[in-house]
This record gives sequence, structure tokens and C-alpha cells, in this order.
Amino acid sequence: MSDPIYQITNLIHRYNRQPVVEIDRLAIEPATITGLVGPNGSGKSTLLKMMAFIMRPTDGSISFNGKPALPFDEAVRSQVTLLTQEPYLMKRTVFNNITYGLKVRGDRGDWTRQVHAALTLVGLDPERFSRRYWNELSGGEAQRVALAARLVLQPRVLLLDEPTASVDAASSELIRAASLGARGEWGATLVIASHDREWLYEVCDEVIHLFKGKIVGTGRSNMIFGPWSAEHGDRHFKPLGDGKRFIVSPPPQADSTAFIDPGAIRLFARGEATSQTRRILVDGTVTRLSLQKDGGTLYADVRIGALTLVVRVDEAHLAAMTLHRGWPVTLAYRLNDIHWK
Amino acid sequence: MDFILAGFIEAIHLLFSGDAQTWSAVAATVNASTGSMAASLVIGIPAGFLLGYFDFPIKRQVRLLVDTALALPTVFIGLMVYAFISQRGPLGSLGLLFTLRGIAIGQTFLALPVVIALSATAVESMDRHLRTLLISLGASRTQLLLSSLWEVRYGVLAAGLTAYGRVMTEVGISMMVGGNIKWHTRTITTAIALETGKGMFATGIALGVVLITIAFGVNVCLSFLRKK
Repeated sequence: MSDPIYQITNLIHRYNRQPVVEIDRLAIEPATITGLVGPNGSGKSTLLKMMAFIMRPTDGSISFNGKPALPFDEAVRSQVTLLTQEPYLMKRTVFNNITYGLKVRGDRGDWTRQVHAALTLVGLDPERFSRRYWNELSGGEAQRVALAARLVLQPRVLLLDEPTASVDAASSELIRAASLGARGEWGATLVIASHDREWLYEVCDEVIHLFKGKIVGTGRSNMIFGPWSAEHGDRHFKPLGDGKRFIVSPPPQADSTAFIDPGAIRLFARGEATSQTRRILVDGTVTRLSLQKDGGTLYADVRIGALTLVVRVDEAHLAAMTLHRGWPVTLAYRLNDIHWK
Repeated sequence: MDFILAGFIEAIHLLFSGDAQTWSAVAATVNASTGSMAASLVIGIPAGFLLGYFDFPIKRQVRLLVDTALALPTVFIGLMVYAFISQRGPLGSLGLLFTLRGIAIGQTFLALPVVIALSATAVESMDRHLRTLLISLGASRTQLLLSSLWEVRYGVLAAGLTAYGRVMTEVGISMMVGGNIKWHTRTITTAIALETGKGMFATGIALGVVLITIAFGVNVCLSFLRKK
């Protein structure tokens, strides 16, 4: 069995003495696709920059291919590349932007074929775009050229930080396809940070949840943000609109974040959860059904007012009820199943 | 008003007839300014890049010194250079006083803060994504620095042109260090001062036209670079 391509150990990074990333252990296998999800400020971008060896961590180490690595090490240059959220190109033509990495790597010869292949991969016509300047491109085109500049290097690792956040839908599709194509073409390892959880669940071998710089879970998970209001007894709640509320046990602090595993929530057809004592019941509507990659497990997204929860649908429930988009359902969960961060 | 108009007409005649005194002043100016610009660019661009790119403990203080040096009067620079290269000064034995090389040295001190300060500003205004981009594409430390400098080339060129404009039009250094010696160290600006003082407005205006033409050319280039 090969070494993980990344082995992260006791990684800490601080800004102004405040920790923004704290990861005890993380291993990423070669030729896999790993997703990173988390709210803004959860440390995704900082983690990706450290994995791209653009910045050094304050403490801890990142091993690449079994060896500790640092920025500018020969072993990581041109092997690991990061595509950031905002499209950014150098002040030169598309052709020269794409060939920059080949030049610094010392590749010689005619790069036209490689540039054309890279542009085609991201859905841009080489004849029309090769000679254009950086300021003659739309945002979506610029991001695609930026991706092409990285794909032309055929890196072993492609890190993507919200690659489609700033682009139009058409560019978004092309960028996603080209990125995934890298894994198919030359076995690249992909690590993708995105707010599009459904896409990540669809394409990733593993999805890692980050919260306040720490790994809080993998796979599908539900995060419900505060603030929380006190109710009678030992309960608190968050108003969700439409008269609905999400009820929880007392949080550590008023703005703590609640986590509940999709498998801890039970799903019933509306009106059929009457036997569920000792569980909190809340009505919602199914908005999406999806299958877990490589597993066959069915998940349902259920909207409850302004909140959408992911629920794992077990086979018994699936056999007992009709389930499709727009179907009214009742969710049942226990207060003990809620964890706090 | 008539004498001004007559001056312009005579200026055109002097320029196109190849008047030796007029073109001698132009040549002296070009000679001294080229030397000073070469020195200030070679020293100033790397210094400005380092000042703008890196963080170090006394960066703010260094920047303050450079910015203060921008405001030094040319006569003061001329005075200090004169003190050093005169016979009584520590560099008197080099024989630089009343030479074009002496003027070039003084003009280097004038141009250097301009090149350093404006280059540093150009580097500081560099997009923060550039470093991420260059490292992501495999640049080494040296390639990172050189490529970053290339990306701000228009700002650095503008710094050079601004310094050139200042050097071409200064009087104090040329007068004090050069001595305004005919056929030798008489530059455009010192010649204007002298000829106007003698009442020779035509020669003064002719030289002024040359100076304005050069200044206009510099500003056209700057305007082009600003758009970049």
C-alpha cells in the first residue's frame, strides 16, 4: 500500500496569536478526491495554502509523499498547485500565462500543442483565446485560463479553493469537469473546498468538515448555527420561520453550533410519527434525494423553514413510505443526539 | 509681448540651424542625465523592490527617510555634493568638481529617492494573489522575485520616467557642481538662467522649448504607462 500523498500531523497555524487551523492528524491518499466544507472562517483556505506549500504552518508538519516538505522545496514545486477563488492572471497574454509554469520548470520546445490542449480542456477555443490579453477576458474565462495554466503542468495534486464561486454557471460546469478530468487523465489527487456540498458529496471520496479550524467530522453532517433562545425547562430553540423551531438541549454558549448526524434523525411520512415519544418532532418538506457515492445509501434533504437538514434514509423507511421531492415529512430526533462545538 | 514672440521665432532658427552653443547645452544635459539615471535605476529599482516587497523591523523608518529625501531641494544636494568633491572635501582628489560626472553624481542623489519610493509603492500595490499564483505554478524564490518585478514593470518604469523628468529640469546641482562652464558643463537649465540674465531671450526660449519637448515626451510615456 502506498504512502498517503499528504500526512498532516499536529498542524497549527495562528494569525495574531489566534489559532485558525488546528489539525491533529489528516491523511490524504493519492488519486483521491477530498472535499472540505465549513462556514466562512473555518480555515479551509488557510489549510489549502499550507497544503500548497505557499505558507508555512506556525507549528506541526505536512509530509508530501512520505517526506516533510516546505515552501519552495524541489519535491513540491510544479507537483502541487492551488487554484484560488478569485480569478487572477499575470499581465500578459493567455498563451504566456499558461506557459509560465512550463518555463519555470525548464521545459523546452514548442508549447503550442500543450497550450491548445489545456485551453480545450477548459472549454476555450485556442484560436480565439491564445493571443488575448488578461484584461480582455470575462471573470469566467479568466478562471478557466487560470485552471488551464495549472492543468498544463499535469500536477500530482490539484487544490481548488471555491473554484466556481466567482464565475457564471457555464464556466462553473467546465471548471468542474476539467478538474475531475485531471484525476481521470493522470491520476491527480484533488482537494476541493466548496460551499456546494451536494456537488462534493457527489464527486468526493471523502468530505471533511472544518469548523473554527478543526476537523469536526467526515461525510454528511448537519451544522446548525446559533444564536439560541431559552425555552421552558431545559430546552432552547432556534426560530426557523413559518412558525417552525429547532429545539435543542441547553447550549454551552448562546452562539454555539449544534451538530447532528444524518443517521440520528428518523424520517416519517407526515402524521405517522405519533409513536415517537422521547423524540422531538418537526415537520418539513423533502427538497432533494441523493445517493452516496459508491455506497448506495440514500439521503434526503429536508427543508424546515430556513433550515435544511440532511437525513439518512434507511431501507426500512424507504420500503414503508413514498418519498420524492416536495413530499411532506416529519423528522424525529433525540436531544441527546445533538453535539456542541 | 513682442520680445517673447521674437524670442520664439529666433528659438526655432537656433534649433534648426544647429547653433553650436544651443546644442552643446543639450548634449551636456543628455550626457549628465543619462549617467545619473543609469546609476539611480541600477541602485534604486532593486532597493525599491526590497523596500516594498519584504517586511523587516525598521521598514517604516527607512520608508520615512526615503520619502523625506524626495523633498530635498536641488541646491542643498548641490551644496552637499560640492562640499564632498571640492578641493577641501574628502573626494577632492578625484577631480570631479565642475565636470559632467560631478553633475551626474549629484543628480543621482536627486533621482535615487524618487526611483526607490515610487518603485516601492508600485511593489506594495502588487496584487496579493500574485505570490500565490507564482508559487502555484512552480516558481523558485528567485523566479518569484523576478516575476513579481516584471509584473509591476509599468509602475517601475513610471518611477524611472518621473525621476528622469526631475533630473532634466533641475538647476541647483548643475549650477553648483557643474559651474555652468561654456562648452563643458553648461546644461539646458543653467544656460536658460544665464542667457535670460544676459537678456538673450531667444537662446533661453530655444532651450526652454527643448526642455518642454522632453518633458512632454516624458509625460506622454507616463500617461501611457498609467493606463497599463
